[in-house]
Amino acid sequence: MEDLSQNRAMPTFMLLSYHARSPKHRKMQRPAKAFLWLGLWFIACISSLPAVASIDAEDEKGVEFFEKNVRPILVEHCYECHSGREKNGGLLIDSREGLLAGGDSGGVIVPGDPEHSLLVEAIRYKNLDLQMPPKKPLAPEQVQTLVEWIAMGAPDPRKAESAEGAPAPTGMSIEEGRQFWSMQPISNPVAPSVDNAAWVQTPIDAFILDKLVKHGITHAAPADKRTLIRRVTLDLIGIPPTPREIDDFLADDSPDAFRQVVDRLLDSPHYGIRWGRHWLDVARYADSNGLDENLAFGTAWRYRDYVVESFNEDKPFNQFLVEQIAGDLIPNATRETKTATGFLVLGAKVLAEPDREKLLMDTIDEQLDTVGKAFLGMTIGCARCHDHKFDPLKQNDYYALAAIFKSTKTFGDTNFGAIKHWNEHTFADAEEVAKIKEVEAAIAEKQKLATGYKNDAMVKLRDQTRAKATEYLIAASAITPMTTLVDAAEVAKPLGLHPRVLHHCRLHLEYHSDDPFFAKWHELAASHDTAAIDQHYRPLFTQAPVAWAEAKQKDASITALPDPNLEAARLAMNDESGLLALPAKPGFAFDEATLAEYNRLSEEARVLESFAPDLTSCLGVTDGPIQSTLPIHIRGSHRNLGEPVARSFPQVMQAGSGNIILPRTQSGRLELAQWMASSTNPLTARVYVNRIWTWHFGRGIVNSPDNFGKLGDRPSHPELLDWLARYFIEAGWSTKDLHRLILASSTYQMSASNALEQFDSNPDPENRLHWKFNSHRLDAEQIRDSILFVTGRLDETMNGKSVPLRNRQFVFDHTSIDHTKYDSLRRAIYLPVIRNNVYTLFEQFDFPDPTMVTGVRNTTTVAPQALFMINSELVMDCSDQLAERLTDVSSDPSTRVQYLYQSTLGRPATDSELQRALEFISELTQNSSTAGQGTADQESTDSHSKRCWSIFCQTLLASNEFMYVR
Amino acid sequence: MSDTIRPRMVDGLHTRRTLLKSSAVGFGYLALSAMLANESQQGNARASDSLNPLAAKPPHFAPRAKRIVFLFMKGGPSHVDTFDPKPLLDRDNGKPPPFELPKVLFAAQGNLLKSPWKFKQHGESGLPVSELFPHVAQHVDDLCILRSVHGTNPAHGGALLKLHTGSDQFVRPSLGAWVTYGLGTENDNLPAFVTICPTLAHGGVNNWGSAFLPAHCQGTPVGNASLPATAALVKNIRNSRIEPELQRRQLDLLAAMNREQMELQGRNQALEGRMNSFELAFRMQSTMPHIQNIADETQETMKQYGIDDPVTENFGRQCLMARRFLENGVRFVQVTHSDSEVQWDQHGDLYRGHTKNASEVDKPIAGFLADLKARGLLKDTLVLWGGEFGRTPTAQGTDGRDHNPHGFTMWMAGGGVKGGYAYGATDDYGYYALENKMHVNDLHATILHILGLDHERLTFRYAGRDFRLTDVAGKPATDILA
Repeated sequence: MEDLSQNRAMPTFMLLSYHARSPKHRKMQRPAKAFLWLGLWFIACISSLPAVASIDAEDEKGVEFFEKNVRPILVEHCYECHSGREKNGGLLIDSREGLLAGGDSGGVIVPGDPEHSLLVEAIRYKNLDLQMPPKKPLAPEQVQTLVEWIAMGAPDPRKAESAEGAPAPTGMSIEEGRQFWSMQPISNPVAPSVDNAAWVQTPIDAFILDKLVKHGITHAAPADKRTLIRRVTLDLIGIPPTPREIDDFLADDSPDAFRQVVDRLLDSPHYGIRWGRHWLDVARYADSNGLDENLAFGTAWRYRDYVVESFNEDKPFNQFLVEQIAGDLIPNATRETKTATGFLVLGAKVLAEPDREKLLMDTIDEQLDTVGKAFLGMTIGCARCHDHKFDPLKQNDYYALAAIFKSTKTFGDTNFGAIKHWNEHTFADAEEVAKIKEVEAAIAEKQKLATGYKNDAMVKLRDQTRAKATEYLIAASAITPMTTLVDAAEVAKPLGLHPRVLHHCRLHLEYHSDDPFFAKWHELAASHDTAAIDQHYRPLFTQAPVAWAEAKQKDASITALPDPNLEAARLAMNDESGLLALPAKPGFAFDEATLAEYNRLSEEARVLESFAPDLTSCLGVTDGPIQSTLPIHIRGSHRNLGEPVARSFPQVMQAGSGNIILPRTQSGRLELAQWMASSTNPLTARVYVNRIWTWHFGRGIVNSPDNFGKLGDRPSHPELLDWLARYFIEAGWSTKDLHRLILASSTYQMSASNALEQFDSNPDPENRLHWKFNSHRLDAEQIRDSILFVTGRLDETMNGKSVPLRNRQFVFDHTSIDHTKYDSLRRAIYLPVIRNNVYTLFEQFDFPDPTMVTGVRNTTTVAPQALFMINSELVMDCSDQLAERLTDVSSDPSTRVQYLYQSTLGRPATDSELQRALEFISELTQNSSTAGQGTADQESTDSHSKRCWSIFCQTLLASNEFMYVR
Repeated sequence: MSDTIRPRMVDGLHTRRTLLKSSAVGFGYLALSAMLANESQQGNARASDSLNPLAAKPPHFAPRAKRIVFLFMKGGPSHVDTFDPKPLLDRDNGKPPPFELPKVLFAAQGNLLKSPWKFKQHGESGLPVSELFPHVAQHVDDLCILRSVHGTNPAHGGALLKLHTGSDQFVRPSLGAWVTYGLGTENDNLPAFVTICPTLAHGGVNNWGSAFLPAHCQGTPVGNASLPATAALVKNIRNSRIEPELQRRQLDLLAAMNREQMELQGRNQALEGRMNSFELAFRMQSTMPHIQNIADETQETMKQYGIDDPVTENFGRQCLMARRFLENGVRFVQVTHSDSEVQWDQHGDLYRGHTKNASEVDKPIAGFLADLKARGLLKDTLVLWGGEFGRTPTAQGTDGRDHNPHGFTMWMAGGGVKGGYAYGATDDYGYYALENKMHVNDLHATILHILGLDHERLTFRYAGRDFRLTDVAGKPATDILA
């Protein structure tokens, strides 16, 4: 309000400056707009400014009506959002032209015809989707005024404010777009010739070196072999090399020693685990829906395994793409290719959204956003409500693509209450279906057992309570509505009453102080006359059930007792949420034993369900009813439809000028996928090779791997990017070939140190030009898997279901109890990815949000990571395990220290490190406060010693040297 | 990107290092990612720019409140049974609703259902409060009752997300994360944003997440709704195996190893930051439990919050913990009331369910307000109360009410808002917001405004767009400001 009152104090100055359209002032005074417009109107009315100068004589009366009655309404209630620069809904109301032109939803007034004028519909507030003004309806007489005015033909002397309302910036035109770097065809650059030919191991090095030389920067020396094998092993398979592998590599002097290491690693099944996980970041993979209703994606693991397998078998990327978008439509579709379409279903959906059309369009939006970013590096989602503000993507393009996905079925035909089910491909035969039906019956039976037990116990409790109705009323007179439960219990317990029932009973009496049946109680309770309460109510509570039984016997159809007093007593006894209501919550209602039994039964049912088998199926899409066109959704709203758009692909990326023609009987997804996967698509190969580069080096040639649009990064080495894209396509879209090429380069094999970093004058502090290797912290999975691996605990089992929930079971229901366990010792890729509650280690070490496409992860350094390293069970268990192994290694402390350095850091300890370690261990071991209070029997000494070694092991695992790749 | 949100400038290497040493890792969510991005060894202007993203930042204009606490009633408390009395509902009980129902309904709805509770006027303002909240009613002159909130979503999940993040469709940063992003924190050893016993259902972590905002903006959960307040802890804050003095030695060894490593490799801010993070973690292990340990509070205070009564104990503890966090400089505290079985979601059995839930929170909230006031905290703390939607004035079944996101009540207190004031109104039956309608976007704009932030200027660029908490809408309701 400060701003406004200030403005009020100097309206003239501000009006003038505003009127003069000084952009600078206008911007500054933005908050005061409403007042400005009021002021403008005022001036317009009292003076003869141009706004009122051009009155058409014929309309004089109409204009008078407008000025006197209509303009004030418009100014006061509409201008704030529909005048000048504020053009909400694409509508301007501050000129006759604006009003007649209408907004995004079309014309707003039909002069002479109020009943067909959208404006009238809006101000009448009858249509729940169209109510104006949004905060508060106009007064009825104001509505009438506007209706009359439109009926008069909407006379309006106002002229358009020319320079105002300049259109908001829109994105590139299609033609401009085609000139944009990422939309141009992939060029055919030749590797530059450079002087230092010895450094050039692959053409990549020539491109890199060329730039370094031009910037006068010297590249780093090659990394030493120990560093290099640790780097490449963690890079390709996500765990460090064993001491044996290190020794072998150090001993191998042959020129292709490194190439052999690379080949060995690419052949390892762990390669697919590591690089498949990279793709899962892009695919926003998760084992649960997240968002509103967190149901288990109990079959998503089949997609995950498909991805791992695809990387391991080096599936050509163009094929990988087509399978994920249209694996159900390709000729000879298999279980594998249908599983791939899980890519389209994995998104987080608002499953309980009651508005089904909104749900469908939101889901399509999520799919377009994901497909666009993942494969094309385009933020297609930005064109849902309007043309893309920066990139050459039009709203037409969006709905052309949306039509393809509208013709695709992402949701199944079943639901659980308000919760919709996603679509699945089922591979089960009749026998399996029958077996699963049995399983489901067994689950239902168990659940019934628990519920039945609860209901029976409640009935029993209710009978007991009812029998003591009078006692409750007597006891209630000893407490007040404000009495605590502790005090209420003191009254209840000696009388054998349930404290919470008594507590509620007293509140009920308070809430029903005007109920005639309880009037007597209030009167008697006030005088503490418990005997009288007994005398008054006991006969009623005794007679009521008897009278009811008799009456029922005479006439089974009666609904009430004729005697009002007895009827009131009957109701008071029987109303389950009335005077004698039991707590609805078993924990509050039951005694300990009953509660324990109920909990046991519920838990049994839950466990049975969680581990019960599902039908063999996977998430995936199929074609639905084909929609050859889809209307533009104005402002993205499914309740406001515009012109229909035919299915197509984004115009800017179409090479020819011909229209895309799609089959009448299919959604067009297959054609879309093939078009994206073709060598003529300028984006797909570029985006993918840039991803691979990013995952090797920590940053991309284009440092915004998911955005190749105007707001994205520009390539640091555009020729190299094109050269790589072309190489990749020529090599049959082989990912492993690309790895071999990159890893063989001097660029990859450089040291992570370069004297350059010590100079203030460093022209490239971010290392965009690759003058050294970027050292970086291990990511979440590498940290966990490496710790398990070096301590000998890693379980190398691959594949299979790993989320301990049945398909579509709630991950979280209203209880918020987390049943998901992360104690599996398999590779981290096989841990459940639970949206809305990602595993602590993942979350703290920058695992990506599994609802968004993530091409490059963040690296943050935060204290909870340190807490994890020093206090988590996982790290301490692993340290214990490593300490345990020392017994078999040697009893000599020096040998032990060396063993630990070798197995964790992959190198021997230096003399001073050894010395320090030995001192630490001996100090810790001798520390009296920790030696088990002097009871120095052998067993406790041993276990104490182990504990000290474990603490030392943990320190190594937490060290920067272990946690970083150099 | 806003040009006004900028970390505090710190000049020169010396200051930067001092800062690193003393406070740089904040509670932890002091992201050093920014520093990682700048690996040039010598301090330069850019390095200081990127320092300590959690440092307190100046607001856009003078704030009315420095901190905020949101008492969140999960499930959707009924406004027509608590703070928004409707005489016509009493009169027309049992009749069909004389207005059109929304197109999208969560469930089928029956006839009008009057409130089982009576309303009484309270305080000098004479604002009516139902008998469900006798204790809160005593503070009515401090309440600013917002009776025209609307625009969440008809289902819990969508509504929670909309209320907490402004979007019921995408994962977006939460209100608390935006506030943290905008204002930073005023303490070094605690998070800027704490959420006590939050529900893991219906949006879960997203309701306190940072989405695309920097990681340090996300809320730190203390326990979750399945745990009693006595068992609510920050993850990994305790070590059950290694005594503190041993751990101290361990960290000294670790520091020595890391220092040596760094000498070999040359100085590196990321590594340095990581070393500091261990020291901070060690300190946090004592700071957090100390704040959560309410044993040093007086008996009167315990009683005031209802901690002496099993009915109110749990929520009372949560509120008391909240006060202690606020006192210690936490910017945004959320306290959630979300019973494991009977939440504020009475599709049936309204009478029993609301009676239970109101009994559990009424006294603790009143005690909390009184305590904040007595300590002089209320004047610059914004208290917000409410659920993800209200409930329909029509019946579901015979004795329940369905979800109603079209018009419901939340209230504020403290933080420069008018006390004893009712803002906006629903229609005669309480179905639709009608006067001074306050869309969730408006609510968010208002909250930010009270904290000194302009919701249109608090932006973050992500995926090629400047995002706001309020998307493209929202207007602060300045009428409610004192």
